[in-house]
Amino acid sequence: MPRTNRFAVAGRRLPRLDAPAKVTGSQVYGADVVVPGMLWGKVLRSPLPSALIRHVDPRPALAIDGVRAVVTAADVPPVRYGPAVKDMTALARDRVRYIGEPIAAVAAITLEIAERAAAAIAVEFDLLPAVFDPEQALLPEAPLVHPGWADYAALPVLARRGNLASRSCIRHGDVAAAFARCFRVYEHRFTTPVVHAGYTEPRAATARWEGDGSLTVWTNGQLPYEVQATLAEILQLPVSRIRVLVPGTGGGFGGKLRIALEHHAALLARACGRPVKLIATCEEELTAAHPRQSSIVELRTGVSRDGLLLAKQARVVMDCGAYAGSGPGTAAVALQIVAGPYRTPNLLLEGLAVYTNKVPTGSFRATAGPMGNFAIESQMDMIADDLDIDPLELRLNNAVRDGDTGPAGEPLQAVSVAECLQKAADAIGWRERRPGSGRGKGIACGWWMTTGGSSEATVKLNPDGTATLGSGAVELGTGALTGACQVLAEELGLPLQAIRLAAVDTDAMPYDYGAQGSRTAFSVGNAARAAAAELRRRVASVAARRFGVAPDRVTLEDGHAVADADRLPLAEIARLIQASGEGLTASGHFLSPPPPHDPARVENHPLPAWNTPSFHAHAAEVAVDPETGEITVQRYVVAQDVGFAINPAGIEGQIEGGVAQGLGQALSEEIVFAEGRVVNPTLTDYKMPTAMDVPPIESIFVEEASTAGPFGAKGVGEPPSIEPLATVANAVAAATGVRITDAPITAEKILRRLDQQE
Amino acid sequence: MSRISLRLRVNSDRYDALVEPHWTLLQVLRGPLGLTGTKENCLEAECGVCTVLLDGRAVNSCILLAALCEDRDILTVEGLGRPGKLHPLQQAFIDHGAAQCGYCTPGMLLTAKSYLDEHKGVVPDPDAVREAIAGTLCRCTGYQKIVEAIRAAAAALKEEP
Repeated sequence: MPRTNRFAVAGRRLPRLDAPAKVTGSQVYGADVVVPGMLWGKVLRSPLPSALIRHVDPRPALAIDGVRAVVTAADVPPVRYGPAVKDMTALARDRVRYIGEPIAAVAAITLEIAERAAAAIAVEFDLLPAVFDPEQALLPEAPLVHPGWADYAALPVLARRGNLASRSCIRHGDVAAAFARCFRVYEHRFTTPVVHAGYTEPRAATARWEGDGSLTVWTNGQLPYEVQATLAEILQLPVSRIRVLVPGTGGGFGGKLRIALEHHAALLARACGRPVKLIATCEEELTAAHPRQSSIVELRTGVSRDGLLLAKQARVVMDCGAYAGSGPGTAAVALQIVAGPYRTPNLLLEGLAVYTNKVPTGSFRATAGPMGNFAIESQMDMIADDLDIDPLELRLNNAVRDGDTGPAGEPLQAVSVAECLQKAADAIGWRERRPGSGRGKGIACGWWMTTGGSSEATVKLNPDGTATLGSGAVELGTGALTGACQVLAEELGLPLQAIRLAAVDTDAMPYDYGAQGSRTAFSVGNAARAAAAELRRRVASVAARRFGVAPDRVTLEDGHAVADADRLPLAEIARLIQASGEGLTASGHFLSPPPPHDPARVENHPLPAWNTPSFHAHAAEVAVDPETGEITVQRYVVAQDVGFAINPAGIEGQIEGGVAQGLGQALSEEIVFAEGRVVNPTLTDYKMPTAMDVPPIESIFVEEASTAGPFGAKGVGEPPSIEPLATVANAVAAATGVRITDAPITAEKILRRLDQQE
Repeated sequence: MSRISLRLRVNSDRYDALVEPHWTLLQVLRGPLGLTGTKENCLEAECGVCTVLLDGRAVNSCILLAALCEDRDILTVEGLGRPGKLHPLQQAFIDHGAAQCGYCTPGMLLTAKSYLDEHKGVVPDPDAVREAIAGTLCRCTGYQKIVEAIRAAAAALKEEP
């Protein structure tokens, strides 16, 4: 259905600005950076999951020809850092807590020599007991992953104790009383494994110390300002002495949020007095990066005879591995996810982030989304089956509506979950839910936030009448910055091709909370709008003087200032501003405040109420081979409320890619551990979807405008990966009668269950 | 280890490169030749981002010894179009939004070129395209727009004299 669009640039299906560089190979990525005189670095990683370090001897490495430096914890200030809990060190100090933990780093004239030298470093350990299972880690007799946990600094909101890195709650009503009155109460347990973001460009960093003692770092990370701040902590330097540049990033998906190799590059470069580059190997990515937490969700839901949700109790356990990382936030956000886009008068939701002796975890696209959604949306279908109600109808009957309140008591606006459900169901042909033997359709819905955090932007009017957008936000590949440029172009009356995006450099670009949380186009777009308004005011003032009219009569159209019959090209106005000194560069800033909530409903929750939530529904049709258990996803439909589609082609790309990632989590992806060791650290054994595994995906935009986003937009990037797991689980259950509650949903599991049924 | 001199023909340019005998083509392209358009990731021929054409056929440059490529024709993304004129595949990738982060794009383009060269005058059906590019992982796009772009390029190439 054609959309009507009142704008010239915003809302248009336009090629992204960086596409020509990317198809010609001229785009430079972090992994491509070469600096004159550069050496190569390599990290020595722990072979043990839990041990005391008795002795590290770098001498065998230093004796190798071509080795220029070895750094160990002895060379680093004793600083602990981390986004929620400051529990991490740049190199292991006294103790290792997971297989893969950095112990030392080497710089050498070639990568081969650095690798050989890292392996030559002699380390003596005393083995310690380890704990790998998060539920065992919560038992009183479990070994402590961090015996010194009580001394760590942490966000004040967090509640911590021993191996429990955080505990958050959302509660209202009285679930115990409500369960006693329910017609039926359902209890289920769902689990999901550790999965990797799978960006195709490995993490890489290059560091150089300058003559004035300052540090320059080139990275492909998502958050240059966080890298800068974390490096300042680790190196005990003033923030302003560190310059971070991000030339280009080959995908992030949350996996590149946190500092990766930048600190190791900086420490080595300081030790040897030469620039040093490190790049992660595939094995390092799959064993020692920042993958998604594994999860356990125990869910108890009580309903009335006609299927209205009356009470919900959930306990969510996120295994954050050896360091808290993003675990506390993920365990907390899981509570909004398990509440779901449903009216539920009684809630008791508890989220735990737990330390174990495994790889520390981070954030991956929509953090807790797929895990929590898998639980509630699988259970909705189980309830529907039991009550003999259509799963779509059960969802529609319970869906939140405009004017309802969310789980923390916050008011909900621009709610569209029912519309999304209906559109996805219509597109998949819901009435024929079991179209044949071994075939079935599934549906799932959910909601997600548009993450807050502030954005600043500069807009510079160039003497040729074009404009340059300056932002500290990184283009990860999502196209979000092209979206922000479309917003800017619209505001300045310019075509998109007349907007240039400046390179990300913390010395030159204003602060941005960063490319994360579905916020980039939304937040940078709004900051750019504010800057454009200021620039327009100056342009109007100059043009008004020339035209002899009042400034409010001047508008910007097609690269001109216009008032009635008077027209002046922006290029000429730029030259006039240069002469008059009013300033060609304007700046703007934006912060989306969270909605008010009821503090009595939340405990120790860092994100109690979501900014500008989006709503979505997915539907799929699958075929399951009864002989092999093989699952083929034949069709996939997404109905997503994007508020306003700033670039429909770009949003389709986000939906298609997010669904593909979600299907990987649904069907094939799992980092498998044995006693803390990753047993499948290659891309043959960690199975991401290929082109043959992903079905045609149909995107349906719902545009229920938000009040805060540019032209009504809502966050777009993360939601598409939330619902595929539950959608596929529901479709497989419709096709086979087999309900899989432990992801991934593999042929082996289906076949085992089909055999049991016979 | 002592380095050896290799005669390489990349994008029709002749290079005399001083390399370690065990270096892969990928290492030589990205290192001494400075052609970083060819990407590195898994280094085990699993992800396909390093794909280049060797005598017109798609190969994973990360597991190919550079010494085996002497005097053979190597095409990388830098040689796919001409200055001022993109190859139809490049134009189609732009027009169809087939590049997001772009890191797999060079490998995807050359995989697609190899396939289309072997199937001249045909606009392949989507399943055939999916099979042809199954050796190259893309984590951003879900492949749909890549498939559309390759088919559009095939149609454009068919119209070319």
